[in-house]
Amino acid sequence: MTTAPQTTRAIVTGAARERPGHAGGKRGEQLVSWAFLAPFLIAFALFLVWPILHGIYLSFTDQSLTGAGGDIIGFANYAEALSDPTTWRSMGNTLLFTVLSTIPLVVLALIMAVLVDRGIPGQWLWRLSFFMPFLLASTVISQIWVWIFNPQIGAANNLLEAVGLQPIAWLQNPDTNLIAIVIATVWWTVGFNFLLYLAALQNIPAQQYEAASLDGAGPWRQLWSITIPQLGPATVLIVMLQILASLKLFDQAYQMLGGVASDTTRSIVQYMYEAGFVGYRFGYSAAISYVFFALIVVIGIAQALVVGRRKEQ
Amino acid sequence: MTRRQLFAGAAALAGTALLAGCTPPGSARTPQELQFWHLLSGGDGVTMSGLLDTVNAAQSDYRVRPTVLAWGSPYYTKLAMAATGGRAPEVAIMHATRVAGYAPGGLLDPWDVDRLAELGVDESTFPAPIWEKGHAGGELYSVALDAHPFVLMFNTDICDAAGVLDSDGRLNPTKNPDEFLELTRAVAGSAEGHGLSYGYLGDGAQMWRLFYTLYTQHGLEMKLPEGGKSELDQDAAVESLALMQSLLDGEIAAPQNDYQSAIAEFATGRSGMLLTGVWELRTMQAAGIPFDATTIPTLFGTESVYADSHSFVLPHQNDPDPTKRDLSYRFVADLLKGSFDWAEAGHIPAYLPVTQSPDYADLVPQAHYAEAAEHVAYDPPAWFTGSGSNFQGDFGASVQGALLSGGDPAAAIADFQRRVDAVLSRPNPADPEGTWQS
Repeated sequence: MTTAPQTTRAIVTGAARERPGHAGGKRGEQLVSWAFLAPFLIAFALFLVWPILHGIYLSFTDQSLTGAGGDIIGFANYAEALSDPTTWRSMGNTLLFTVLSTIPLVVLALIMAVLVDRGIPGQWLWRLSFFMPFLLASTVISQIWVWIFNPQIGAANNLLEAVGLQPIAWLQNPDTNLIAIVIATVWWTVGFNFLLYLAALQNIPAQQYEAASLDGAGPWRQLWSITIPQLGPATVLIVMLQILASLKLFDQAYQMLGGVASDTTRSIVQYMYEAGFVGYRFGYSAAISYVFFALIVVIGIAQALVVGRRKEQ
Repeated sequence: MTRRQLFAGAAALAGTALLAGCTPPGSARTPQELQFWHLLSGGDGVTMSGLLDTVNAAQSDYRVRPTVLAWGSPYYTKLAMAATGGRAPEVAIMHATRVAGYAPGGLLDPWDVDRLAELGVDESTFPAPIWEKGHAGGELYSVALDAHPFVLMFNTDICDAAGVLDSDGRLNPTKNPDEFLELTRAVAGSAEGHGLSYGYLGDGAQMWRLFYTLYTQHGLEMKLPEGGKSELDQDAAVESLALMQSLLDGEIAAPQNDYQSAIAEFATGRSGMLLTGVWELRTMQAAGIPFDATTIPTLFGTESVYADSHSFVLPHQNDPDPTKRDLSYRFVADLLKGSFDWAEAGHIPAYLPVTQSPDYADLVPQAHYAEAAEHVAYDPPAWFTGSGSNFQGDFGASVQGALLSGGDPAAAIADFQRRVDAVLSRPNPADPEGTWQS
């Protein structure tokens, strides 16, 4: 992060030195650069800054979806959101899902990438099939997994019965429905992490492996002593991206459960949607979203501290 | 050239083009286009499309242009937002039970009862409970197209073999839970699969439909006073839920069945009976199985059945075009009068001249459950109840465990009431000022 601004400054100073005496040159250049930046800045202000500010404003009002209300009610929405058991329950579900999904999504992606990188035959087929599910829309994967988890005719229960176990109502049983969503999500999105790991693996110089084998290190030794340590930065990035992606849980869970409110799968994003669009309470929904935002900030800071400390060591 | 001149010129050009090319010779004026939103898909959508073609072809004053949206909260959210902006479609279909969440916030405009009466649509042409349901706050906000109750379909071959049909081929009457359990067990004995198919997993509406049918058969209604506590008779509620549990014993009905699997089980002739909405009639006709349908037997003394109505509403427009608004009235009257075809989709038309016609009496099995329209039990009125609402979802979330693994029905009912009371205790966002009382 620290190198980028320095480079930019160097280029600008360089350019200014090349054309001494051009009083309007620098201003002209600035104008040009602003012109190039303008489309992005307008979109940024219109679709990010303004909604964020408006959302904060809404969270202090009793604005209804029906257009009624809109009076400023102070911190009442925040007080209610913090004392609402559904907020905490949804937050808990979201965090549990994040933990349950992030671990396999990182570990499996690593295993898959290492296997493929080792040059087993038909590499293109493995890469394609591991990445393919990621290209599907959430509506499609939800439908596929609803069929697989169907209690009567689904493949998941056929498998259980084939090994002599009792069938499970995967998506309806509160003990299993979050797990079912984790399974579907892992299958759906592991391809992206796999691709990131594959790219990182290809950056490890082959000489290191050659040197290691000359020293008599076997494949496992090489994996533990070269591959995994070299993948450190990639792993930090993948874990961070994955946590952010998992915290946004909504569409696949909502669709796989047919939009039915389930205490064990309702994510915080779904609760925001329910409060605002089903329950009409825009102000309350906005307040929940800022409570969630605060949680993400806390997680982000915690992560930065952990990573920072590890680097210092 | 000023901007105004430019626009005037463009408009004139466009007008000339219309006159020259687009208007068929001899036609005095172009029909007004009416925007019509509805949520009917599948077989219902096809039928509605046919009805619209008929009304469009029968006159040249208006032309209805339908917009079909996915049913449930996506539809209701979009309708609310269109009405909030004051630029809603001229006319829309809504479930009658959702009106209470829309009318108080000013999202719907009331119907002019006198104008409807001039067009032949008034109190005398509807079953009383259905006409009444259209009212709120002393105004008429919705005009019902139909009633779509929960019914009992039965496979005539399997039921005949089980000896539960009378000489006319109708299901033997049952007057209490024990008689009904006995009858369904007999049917189970002659069916390849289960006696009864009832899919409920992950579907709060399905659980609520059967529960509320049984609950209201006790002669009771659930009440949801604003700002108060929900009123639900514990004994009757527990008795109703316990009967549902007895049905899901693995012999009468599968303990773990979702909606689609239940439909498939009955449609392939593996079960003798099916608890479903009338909207599945076409599915069963297409499946080619021998079947009939009846109202759900009265097991707790009072004739009652859960139902809802697809109803016409006028979503709020800031500045309605008087011509289009009047044509919307005509369109609704025309469609109601032509709603015989709607019955073919299984629904019971609300317009009495249709259901009282001799042709309707010949329509089997529709005529066999038409009386249900007289005993419909709608969701308890509140801004958050109705078809496709979270209220039904909450019911499912509370009782599904009890149905799936035989938990305590009383605890499930208590949990449901706790959820409902939590919603009731909050301000009503459809009417935050509390200026409007239903």
